[in-house]
Amino acid sequence: MPTAHTYKPWYKTPWKDDWIPDEVAVIDCYTTFACRHKFCREVCPVYQVTGNESYTSYGFHTALLAVKRGYERLSNLGDTFTYCLQCGACQLRCPDTLFAGDFYRVPKTTNLLVTKTRSEIIRLGFKFKGSDDILKAINKVVEDFETGRMPLVDWAKDLDIPREGEVILFYDYFMATQMTNVLRLWAKILKTAGVKFGIIENPRPTLLYELDYLGEKGVKLVKENIDALQKAGAKTVVVADPHVYVSLTQDYPRFIGSDLPFDTVFITDFVWKLIKEGRLTPKKSVNKKVTYHDPCMLNKVSGIWESPRNILKSIPGLQFIDEDHVTQWYYCCGHGASEVGSFKIMHEDISYQIGLRRLRRVVELGVDTLVVACPHCNQQFNEVKLKAKIDIEIRDISEILAESLDIK
Amino acid sequence: MLMSYGKVDESVIERLRKIVGDENVLVAPHHRFLRAASAAPFPLHKWHVHAPDVVVLPGSTEEVAEVVKLANEKKIPIVPRAGGTGLADGAVPLKGGIVVDIKRMNRILEIDEENMCVTVEAGINNQTLNMELRRLGYWWPFDPASFPVSIIGGNIGTNAWSLIPGVSGHIRDLVRSMVVVLPTGKVIRVGEGGGKKISKSSIGYQLKYLFIGHQGTLGIVTEATLEMFPLPEVEFPAFFGYRSFMDAWRNAGKMAKSGLRTMATHIIFDEEKIEALRRDDEAYIPLPAHIKSVIATAFYGTEAEVKGAAKRIMEIAAKDGGVYLGPELSEGDWASRHDRYHISFHGRHLDGQVGTYSWHCEDAAVNYSALPYVVKRWHELVKEWKRKYDIFDDMGGFYYNNNAFKQWGDYLSEIDVFIDEYHLTEETWQAWLELKRRIAEVVLEVGGSISAAHGGTRPGDVELVVSKELDPGVYEIMKMIKKMLDPNNIMNPGKYLLDTAYE
Repeated sequence: MPTAHTYKPWYKTPWKDDWIPDEVAVIDCYTTFACRHKFCREVCPVYQVTGNESYTSYGFHTALLAVKRGYERLSNLGDTFTYCLQCGACQLRCPDTLFAGDFYRVPKTTNLLVTKTRSEIIRLGFKFKGSDDILKAINKVVEDFETGRMPLVDWAKDLDIPREGEVILFYDYFMATQMTNVLRLWAKILKTAGVKFGIIENPRPTLLYELDYLGEKGVKLVKENIDALQKAGAKTVVVADPHVYVSLTQDYPRFIGSDLPFDTVFITDFVWKLIKEGRLTPKKSVNKKVTYHDPCMLNKVSGIWESPRNILKSIPGLQFIDEDHVTQWYYCCGHGASEVGSFKIMHEDISYQIGLRRLRRVVELGVDTLVVACPHCNQQFNEVKLKAKIDIEIRDISEILAESLDIK
Repeated sequence: MLMSYGKVDESVIERLRKIVGDENVLVAPHHRFLRAASAAPFPLHKWHVHAPDVVVLPGSTEEVAEVVKLANEKKIPIVPRAGGTGLADGAVPLKGGIVVDIKRMNRILEIDEENMCVTVEAGINNQTLNMELRRLGYWWPFDPASFPVSIIGGNIGTNAWSLIPGVSGHIRDLVRSMVVVLPTGKVIRVGEGGGKKISKSSIGYQLKYLFIGHQGTLGIVTEATLEMFPLPEVEFPAFFGYRSFMDAWRNAGKMAKSGLRTMATHIIFDEEKIEALRRDDEAYIPLPAHIKSVIATAFYGTEAEVKGAAKRIMEIAAKDGGVYLGPELSEGDWASRHDRYHISFHGRHLDGQVGTYSWHCEDAAVNYSALPYVVKRWHELVKEWKRKYDIFDDMGGFYYNNNAFKQWGDYLSEIDVFIDEYHLTEETWQAWLELKRRIAEVVLEVGGSISAAHGGTRPGDVELVVSKELDPGVYEIMKMIKKMLDPNNIMNPGKYLLDTAYE
């Protein structure tokens, strides 16, 4: 299945200082500028906090249209293009995407447009707010990986997981170093269901939307991951991190120009199927009042919102106050798509304000626990909660499920 | 003598930064060009003519007042901007200057559940306000086509229009009072008499209405106290199919006199509209070929009331052969009414190919009796222009109940013209303005008004508005008021050709 990204050829052309978008690009830019709806604005978490429409999908597209018409220069756009979480709300809410996108091949791809613009600005040697720090953070991850300093499989030491299998549980450095408890629980849940699965020894950092900044080095990481997964015999890759999931399903095909040689499934989809098939039965009562936060990478970018809700609804004793996934298009934890937290590096306070708005919503629902399904949301909400002194428990969905399955 | 304006130089920028903060003063070209256009067809080939010199994003009434005072002192034009979804160019700068973008001012200040009103900053969006009120069991019942994105300040500034006027009126019926920054920087609260939350008073002149629909020429609204409604128990949309536009029109006349108080609206889709939907609308639910015209109705109220009304409207529809189109189409189409009024890839060239079309929506107020004539003339005109230039497309017409708290009288009459704006030249732009004038002339010929919803400030409209539609004595009063409130002609100068007041 071709992704939207593979048929927008203009994303592949390198830009120049005096670059002028070609006609294909201009159709995207013009139709967003000219759109009479502007739904991309209100749904944008950054706009909700800043009130500045320059930082919306039509703001970005119009800026490029102004370059095309000779009113603006590319080197002037850097800072404006930092005001984006790449959460995907705008491109999803766009009527062109919703109604005409598939047929005329014109869905909005703002997440990628932001990546493209930032990476071209970096490549041309212009700076923008935080660009040095972002590059430093990304290069450090890659360096740590290359020098073998990352404990990528230590979390699994005592779990006896093979390094091969038709089903591979996949993640990258982030969960392996910062969210090992969640990885361990998912692994134990899969084992409880009798799933035969493996992991790979050296998962490369997937660095969603930001591999582009690394040039050839980024492409190399993509190919190595795919090779390693193939060598391990993967037919189904079960991904535990929403950001890694979007990397595999949307970024990787863009880099290699074709579909991946295996199926990619997000862990909650995979586990919900196990529950439906009766291979897992949550039995123990979990006496909590919870709501669920849709991670942007699942809900807005991948259309995955049912399985986490289904899992929560299958747990006895759990009081689940749901906010529907469309309302949650408006929300974000404030972290953004970047695995190294680029948005936070560039706009720490806006990131905090966005997270705070979301947590306040949670508190209004009168729940004691916020369930998350993404390690970045988990980390971000814990930070916001501490800073704002909000009394709420943040739990990963694997923890709730494991408790009901009596897995420790 | 025409006034000459002051320049936005470094010292002005510096003072603006002191007032609203560094990050809220935008000077880079891409910020300014973004705020050069609103949502009506735009002469992209003359983009630079409309770019303001600077954009400010104030955070309070006080900051707005300080910015306006500075502009008044330096004689610099000010253009207020809210959602930028207006279709009368209200937010399009004609003489550069400072764009005051009020979208940062988006807080709800008070929800008064006892007196059923809500006080907001004017930069809040309709849908956001409604989402907040719904949590408490209330309803913000203002429903413009741009509901998900348009903003209260702009709605007030343009005297905006609601799709469901039958149950809740238009914006002018929903404002109890508001805070306005006048062109001199003076701040007033204007409402019913002296009350902030009073719905009707006989004290003083009715000045509230002066500050609704002035298109930014008389000041900037920064705060408003608005009605809120109890959340209706049920919403019931019902669509009916007819064999011809004339059958639908005859039936609309009967619906209008039905006396059903829960009826929010009735909307006629003409034959060209049904054709356009059949051809290009992805969400269109196929109808039998003999259905050539449609009436959409919608009801809001208690379950008991609406049940009775539903039965009655079915009976009335049947009198002219109207066939109920079922719940799937009715509910689906009504629910998506805000979501698909403009898709760039819907307009077509003569050879049938889609183009990068933008959308123009005519919005004249036309009496019921004149509709058949207007509909016929409008389609003739647009088709003639399409044949001549091949950059216009006729996407059909809607005729909406235009009346607050009732169904009879006149219709917001909308013909949707798609325009290949990206490829406009000065020649085709002039051709478009000529078509616009011809469309408007038909309206004046039958005693209608050129705009029921957006305002008459666009080129192509405005010349006719001041020379033909308005009584000369009335336009004279408008000029006197403008000059009195705005001695230096800084508030949105050029709109309604009010510059002539200063000659």
